[in-house]
Order: sequence, then C-alpha cells, then structure tokens
Amino acid sequence: MAERLLEIENLSIRFATDEGPVTPVHQVSFGLDAGRTLGIVGESGSGKSVTTKAIIRLLPGSATILPGSRIRYRMRGGEMVDVQTLSPTARALRRMRGGEIGMIFQEPMASFSPVYTIGNQMIEMIRLHKPLSRRQARELAVEMLAKVGLSNPGHRVDQYPHELSGGMRQRAMIAMALSVGPSLLIADEPTTALDVTIQAQVLDLMRSLRDELGMAIIFISHDLGVINQIADDVVVMYLGTVVETGPVRQVIRNPQHPYTRGLLQSIPRIDTLDAPLIPVPGDIPSPSERPTGCPFHTRCPIMRAGECDRLAPTVREVSPGHSVSCHLVQAARVVA
Amino acid sequence: MSSPLITIRDLEVAFPQPRKGLFGSLPEPVRAVDRVSFDINRGETVGLVGESGSGKTTVGRAILRAIDPTGGRVTYLANGEEVDLVALKGEKLRRFRPRMSLVFQDPYSSLNPRMTVRDIIAEPLVAAGLMRDRQQIDARVREIAARCKLNLEHLRRFPHAFSGGQRQRICIARALVAKPDFVVCDESVSALDVSIQAEIVNLLRDLQREMGVAFLFIAHDLAVVARISHRVAVMYVGRFMEYAPVERLFFHPRHPYTHALLSAIPQTDPDAEFNPIRLEGEIPNPLSVPTGCRFHTRCPFARDRCRSEAPDWREIEADHFVACHFAEEFDFTRSRPKG
Repeated sequence: MAERLLEIENLSIRFATDEGPVTPVHQVSFGLDAGRTLGIVGESGSGKSVTTKAIIRLLPGSATILPGSRIRYRMRGGEMVDVQTLSPTARALRRMRGGEIGMIFQEPMASFSPVYTIGNQMIEMIRLHKPLSRRQARELAVEMLAKVGLSNPGHRVDQYPHELSGGMRQRAMIAMALSVGPSLLIADEPTTALDVTIQAQVLDLMRSLRDELGMAIIFISHDLGVINQIADDVVVMYLGTVVETGPVRQVIRNPQHPYTRGLLQSIPRIDTLDAPLIPVPGDIPSPSERPTGCPFHTRCPIMRAGECDRLAPTVREVSPGHSVSCHLVQAARVVA
Repeated sequence: MSSPLITIRDLEVAFPQPRKGLFGSLPEPVRAVDRVSFDINRGETVGLVGESGSGKTTVGRAILRAIDPTGGRVTYLANGEEVDLVALKGEKLRRFRPRMSLVFQDPYSSLNPRMTVRDIIAEPLVAAGLMRDRQQIDARVREIAARCKLNLEHLRRFPHAFSGGQRQRICIARALVAKPDFVVCDESVSALDVSIQAEIVNLLRDLQREMGVAFLFIAHDLAVVARISHRVAVMYVGRFMEYAPVERLFFHPRHPYTHALLSAIPQTDPDAEFNPIRLEGEIPNPLSVPTGCRFHTRCPFARDRCRSEAPDWREIEADHFVACHFAEEFDFTRSRPKG
C-alpha cells in the first residue's frame, strides 16, 4: 500500500476584492498517494489553480486560507506537516518549494527570467536544494536537459529562454523542476499552449520521467482527453468545489455528477463525427455570485427545486474511491 | 450548395524582412503562405487546421484583403459576375467589404468597451453606409441578435457585463448583421470553456443553415473542426498538405502529417487506441523552409526524393487533394467504434 503524500481537508480560500470577498475554493478535500498521478479538471473559475497554489502557500497577499482548512504534506523525513499553519518564512516551506515539490506552468516564458541563461537559472535552483558545487550543478543541468530530449544540451544550457521554441522551453522547465528530484510535481496546464504533436511529446516525456523517478504528479487541465492519457485518478471541480472524484477510467465510463456527464457530452470526439454535441446550458456564474445550495444547480438539467437550490450536497461514495457530491445521485445510482 | 463562391489559386503572401545591418543585403521575404489553392462553396464550411505558425490566419486575412496577397488569384463569384479580389482597390474594395466578415478569437479584446451592444452590432451597417435610417438599423440589429440567441433586453448594455460565451455571440451577430456571403472564423471558439464551446459550434451551424453563409473555420483543434466543417484543409509551414471532405480526411487521410495530427489528439474514451505517431523535432522556422517536401524533416516515411523534390498539389481522387509523393502507398484508414 502506497503511503499518503498529501491530504487536503475542507480547504476554503477567500480573496478580498474591490467588490467584496469571494471564495474561489470552497471546502475542497482530496488526497494523493506517493507515486500516483492525480488529474484536476475544471473550467475557468473552478478554483483548480488556486487550490494547488495553496499547497505550497504561493497565494497572493489578498488571499486567506479559512479556519477549518487542512493541508497535510508528508516531508521526505516521513513527518506530516500542516502546511496551512507554517510561517511564511518557515524552513520546511522553503524545502518544499522547488525542492520536494516542483512546479511547471502553462506559459514557460513567464516562469523563466529573460535576462539569465537557462543554465544559470537551473544552477541557482539546484544549488539551493542540493549541496553541489557550481560545476557539479552545471553538469546535472546539462544531464537533465539531455534527459528531456533537448538536442545539443551542452549548448542549450548557455542560451537565453527567448532563443528556444515553445516546446523546447516547456521541456527546459520540466528539466529544471525535476533536476532536484521532487516527490511531487504540480503541473498547471503544462501542455495547453502547445501544438498537439508537441503536446504528445511532452506527455510522453512526463510519463517516462514519472516512471523513472517515482514521483507523484498533480496534473491540472481543462482537457479531459489529456487527463485520461496521464492520470490515475481525477478530481472534477466546478466553481471551487469538488463535484466528483475517482479513478479516471471509472469517472469517464460511469460519470455520476450531472456536470461531469454534461462535460463529457460537450467534448467533440474524433472517432465519430455524427454524435450530437450537447452543450451544458447557461453560463458559468461569476465567483462573486456563487449560487446557494449546490453550485451547479443553475445549469443542472435534473435540478430539484427546494433541495438543490437550498442545501449544499454531501459527498457520497458510489463505489470504492469514486465519490460524488450531488443530492440526486442516489436516485440515479445503479446498484451494483 | 456546391456552387463555388470563392476560388483561390496559388495564393501567396510574403512578408519582407528587415535589412541586415545598415548596408547589408535585403534578405529573402518570408513566405507565410506559399502557393495555396482551394475552393469554398456557397453555404459551406471549410475547416483550416494547422499548428502555430503554419500560416492559417494569414490565409484567412489574405482572402478578406486584411493583408494584401503578394501573388495568386482569389476570385469571388457573386450574382453571376466574377470579381478578382486581389485586384480590387479603393472605393470598389470598400464597397465590397460588407460581403465578407470576420469573427476573432478573443471575445474580450474584440469588443469596444465604450459602445453598447446595439452599437457594436450595428457598426458594420453604419461603417459601410448600408443603412442610414435609425429604425431600420434597429430592426436589423434586433433580428440578428435574436437569431444569435441574445437577450434583446441586453442590447443597451455594455460588453463588460457579459460572459465569454455571450460576448462571442455578440461578435457573431456583428459579423452577420450585413448578411455577408462569407465569414472567416479565426479560432472563434478556442478561448471558450468546453461546456460553452459546444453551444457556439451549434449556433454557427444553425445560422449557416438559416442564412446560407459560407465559413472558413480556422482552428488548431481538429475535433472542433470535424464537427463544423464540410471540407477540411491541413496546413503546414505555409503550404496545404491535404484537402478533402471531412469524412475522408478524418477516416481515410492520405498525408502522413494529417495522420500524425489525428493520432496525437488525446481522446476521452479510456478504451480508444492511443498510439500517437512520434514526430521528431520541432516545426521548422518559416525563415528556413526545408528543401523538397517541407514536412520531410519530421516525416517518419521520408525518402530521398522527399528531401530534394517538392511534391505537387494533386487530386488523388475526386475532391481529395494531397501534397505527397507517395500518397497512393499510404493507407491510414482509422477504425471507427462499433455501434
């Protein structure tokens, strides 16, 4: 049995904005075992990025993690730390960021500084977390660049980010994040800005590096197709709440929540051209106008008045590891 | 259907390069679009797919004369007369413009925040001087807004009050208000969330059926293109690789690049076969286009002939065009799911 690496319980985050407080993340709970890949899927405003930023406490100053939230992370020594209680300058937090937990983002140009070479930035990062000399760190950087498949890594290491193409930059960022051997990699839409042929290369690379290094991955995407390719388990988020979670295959084959079902029907497939595209009706409400009760009730085709618009649904397990947050799921449930 | 509206022959768009140094030589211009030929029929949707930098946006803009082509012919057949779009100038071009229109990718930056929705939709009518009477304009705006499923109460509001999907419907209403024959949709659903995207795709299909407008639907997402297009063109570094009716292109592609693109789309079906063709390396820079077939640097089937000789653009079977020396040898037929 793999050990728990990360446990998020009841996480709520509030932002102070000019138009008053908004809660983009509302009572989110999920967990991740060492070595597993968890996909988080959701549309814009679903809170998927904010949730993962909270794990390494990278939220902006206007954000507060509300009382009652817990984020527990197992440090390499084996102890569980309560991340939300750490002081912003805590040593444990510094060890986590970039060291035990690596991050890659959608836009690699924004994550590299344009005025230093790729190598300089990698060396700085490696030496922050590993007791290596500059020369050793540089060797490791070149080795990692070769591992992610960049041609001529000895030359690339001295290039500036703007000299690389988008796909190469994304791979350089993966090399940097993985150079210190994190136990957890958080990848926030890492392939969204890439063309499909390059996306296939990057997904391939992430899969093989994961198997080689044995790390866990949290993979955020709006594309269920990509999640299906890379993740073991999936968390479906809508307006800051988890509506459904379970093994990827099961959630796609046997979706329980009306939102998950709607999402699957609205995705165009290429294996059949004549299946109708059924949109999810209505628009995503703005985070400042969070509906009462179930957050999806304003767009839900099977909404039951008096219940869904008043009471927040509880989480119910439909089968081991597969749970859903919907009032009506028991009625829709097929008893196995 | 099936009568041609626009025929494009050997379309070429080259952008001049800055001189190297003060006295340096003038480098060869970059050919963003290199001898592209295809037809668009009345009331038809032609999908145009390709990876970033392939020149698909430039094709759309050159047909609309938002950029001037540097070569080739674009002929527009309207009411039995042939109009050479490339030669059109000045007042004549200006009067021709309302027949064609454009929907952009980003519904946030393409709407003027200081105009009401009504004024935004009316703008093409006013700008082209098609209508002057206020009531007449109002009536037309309301008609098209209703067709685009906009709430008529909202016409007095400003764009900031609307979500992405609603904004894109405003953009579509604006593009269609002058009843054009032809609209270029440049990545018009790419910025939208998937649950909203399907609605806009369905709306475009309904509007086409009602109004008989032809679309050039440019997108990098093949699955969306498959849903909306009658015919699809695949572009790579400034050239067309393949052009065929949607069923043929998606299930019986003849070009290795089309095949590779299709295989690389991650599918949501956990049981679907997923063995993406590994394309080596990166998309070539249009500044230094490979010799011969421009796809040969990444093509898993490349042979000597591909490196030296550029393939012709030829009709391999009725209405199925391809640029590959060995297209006859390839059978990339994809299996369909049972049931």
